[in-house]
Amino acid sequence: MVILWLLIIPLCVGMLVNSILPQSKKTLGITFLGGYLLLFSVFELIAIPCMIKIQYSAFKYCVRYYIIACVILTIAGIAVAVKRAIVAFKSDTNTKGFNMLKSICKALFPGDSNSSAEDLLNPRVKTSDIKMQYSVEGIIYWAIFALIVLFQLYMAFTRAFFDGDDAYYVVESLLAQQADVMNTIEPYTGISTSLDIRHAFAVITMWIAFIAKVSGIHATIVSHTVIPLLFIPMIYLVYIEIAHILFRKKQDMIPVFMIIISLIVMFGNTSIYTSETFMMMRTWQGKAMVANFVLPMIIWLYLWLFECKARDNVVWAFLFMLNMFAGMCSSLGIFFGDGLMALLTLILLIYTRKFKVVPLAIISIIPSVIYLAVYLIVKMS
Amino acid sequence: MYGIFMECWVTFKLYGGNGFLLALFVASLIYLLIMEKELYKKLVIAIAPFIILIGFFIPVTKIVFVAVFEDGADTYYRILWMIQMGVIIAYAACKLIERHKRIGLVITAIVVMLSGSLVYNNQYVSKAENLYHIPQSVIDVVDAIAPLEGESRVRAVFPSEMVHFVRQYNTNILMPYGRDMISSQWSYYNAVHEEMEREGSVDAEALVTATREAKCRYIILSEDRVVDGNLIEEGLVLVDTIDGYLIYEDPEVE
Repeated sequence: MVILWLLIIPLCVGMLVNSILPQSKKTLGITFLGGYLLLFSVFELIAIPCMIKIQYSAFKYCVRYYIIACVILTIAGIAVAVKRAIVAFKSDTNTKGFNMLKSICKALFPGDSNSSAEDLLNPRVKTSDIKMQYSVEGIIYWAIFALIVLFQLYMAFTRAFFDGDDAYYVVESLLAQQADVMNTIEPYTGISTSLDIRHAFAVITMWIAFIAKVSGIHATIVSHTVIPLLFIPMIYLVYIEIAHILFRKKQDMIPVFMIIISLIVMFGNTSIYTSETFMMMRTWQGKAMVANFVLPMIIWLYLWLFECKARDNVVWAFLFMLNMFAGMCSSLGIFFGDGLMALLTLILLIYTRKFKVVPLAIISIIPSVIYLAVYLIVKMS
Repeated sequence: MYGIFMECWVTFKLYGGNGFLLALFVASLIYLLIMEKELYKKLVIAIAPFIILIGFFIPVTKIVFVAVFEDGADTYYRILWMIQMGVIIAYAACKLIERHKRIGLVITAIVVMLSGSLVYNNQYVSKAENLYHIPQSVIDVVDAIAPLEGESRVRAVFPSEMVHFVRQYNTNILMPYGRDMISSQWSYYNAVHEEMEREGSVDAEALVTATREAKCRYIILSEDRVVDGNLIEEGLVLVDTIDGYLIYEDPEVE
C-alpha cells in the first residue's frame, strides 16, 4: 500500500502535469515531482478546511475527501498516459515486446530520450533540448553517486536520529492516525486543547498521518523510516534538475556535481543549524523540507525561467503549487519561499526586460496570500 | 547597529561550526562572481546569494525579522537556508576541476570530507533499535501499562530520558508533563516534574502526593534512582521491572 500511495499514485497524477510540460522537460523525474506538488496542493486545500470547520473526527473526513480527490486525479492521469501510449502504439505498429515498451516510455517521457543525429544537425532544436549519451566515465560517476545515495538511505533506515521537536510533530501525526483529531490534542501531555494555529497550518504532519492511515503503518515509523527513503531521493532529483541546467553543454559533469553535492550533504553537519543537518537528521519535519526541497526547487525553477528567458509559463504553475507546499511545511516556508521568489523575479525582470514576469510571479504567490489571510482570520477569531 | 551586526556575524559563525565549509562557500561564491561567464547562471547562483548574504548582515533585516517572527532571534540563521551553499560549492568545484575530472573529484571529495563533519558521527545519532527509531525500553514499558482496546487512557509519569518518546509510540498514555518541561529553553513549573527530577534522590511521600494530585496511575522510575522513603508504603504496587525500569501502579488513581 505504501508503494501505491508514495510512488504509483504520484506518478499517475504527475502525468497530468507532464501533459503541460515542454517536450524536453517531460521526464520521469519532473513528472514525479510535478505529481507530488499537485497532490500536496490538493491535500492542503482539503486538510485546512477540514481542520478549521469540522469539530469531531476531522481527520476521518480529511482522509475520506483526500482519497476521493486522489482517485479522480489518478484516473485522469492514467487516462492521459493511456491516450499517449495508444497514439505511440498506432504510429509504430511494427514494434513488439520490449521495443514496444520502450517506445511507449519514449512517448510518455520524451525528455528522457537522447537526441537523435537529426536533432543535433537541426538548427531549430534548442541547445537546452539536446541530450547526449553519457560516456563510460560519466556512467561510472553516476554509479558512484548512486552508491553514496544508497548508503545514505541505508543509514537513514538503520540509524535513529534524536530530535526533541519530534515529541511535537511526530505525535501530531500519530494523534491524527490514532484519535482522528487534527491538532486539537496537546501532543506533549494528551490533554484536549484549542487549535494551535502557529503549528496547525503546517499540515505536512497530517499528510504523514494520511500515509500512515491508508498504509496501516504506525505514523512514527512512517516519519522516521519511510519518509527519509522518499524525500532524500526526491531532494536529489531537484539537484539533478539544477545540474541539468548548469551543465547543459557539459553533461558528463552532472554526475560529478551530484557526487560533490551528496558528500556535502553527508559532511554538512558542521552545526545543528545547517540545511544539510536538517535534511539528514530531521527529514520528516516541515522546516527540513522547506530548507532542502522547497528552496532548492525555487532555484531550479528560476534557473529554468532564466534559461528560457521566461517563455515557459508552466514554470509559474510549478511555483504556484510549490508555494502551497511551502505553506504546508511551515509558515516560515512561505516567507522564505516568497522572499527568494521576489528577489529572483526582480533579477529576472532586469535580465529579460519582460514585465509579464511580475504579474505571473504575483499570481504564483496567491496561495501564500490566502494562507496568510486565513491564518490571521483564524488567529483573531 | 554595530552590536546587531556583530550578532549576525556570531550567528553566521555558529551556522558554519568549524568554519571550513563556510570558508569554502565564501571562496566559491567569490570565484563564481568573478569567473562565471554565462550571465543567467551568475545571476541565480552567485549574485542572488551574494545579495541575500549582504542582506543577512544588514542590522535592519534582523530587526524586522525579530519583530515579525515570535522566535525570530533564535531562527534568524534560517535566512542562510535561502543560499544554497552546497550548490554553490559544488558548482564552483566542478568549474575548477572540469579539465582534470578524476584527480579533481578526488581532491574535492577529500577537501569536503576534511572540512565538514560526518552526520553519522553526531552525538544524537545511534543505531536504531526498532522501526520506530525510539528506544526499545520505552516500547517495552509502554506496552506493559497501555490500556487495552475499549479501556480508558492512563496517565503515567516517566523519567526525563523517556519523556520525548512515550507518546511517539502510544498516544493512549497521557503524561503530567512533556518535553516542554525538560527542555532547557522553557522554564515552566510542574509539581510532578519537580519531585521526579529532584536532585539527589526522590522523596517518596512528596512524589506520591504530587502524582495523585495529577491523577497519574503509573510511576516509572529507573532502578538506579535513589528513593527517600518507600513508595510501596505510600500505597503503590510494584507491577513489573522492565529493562531496568520499575513500574509502580497507584491503586488509588482510577
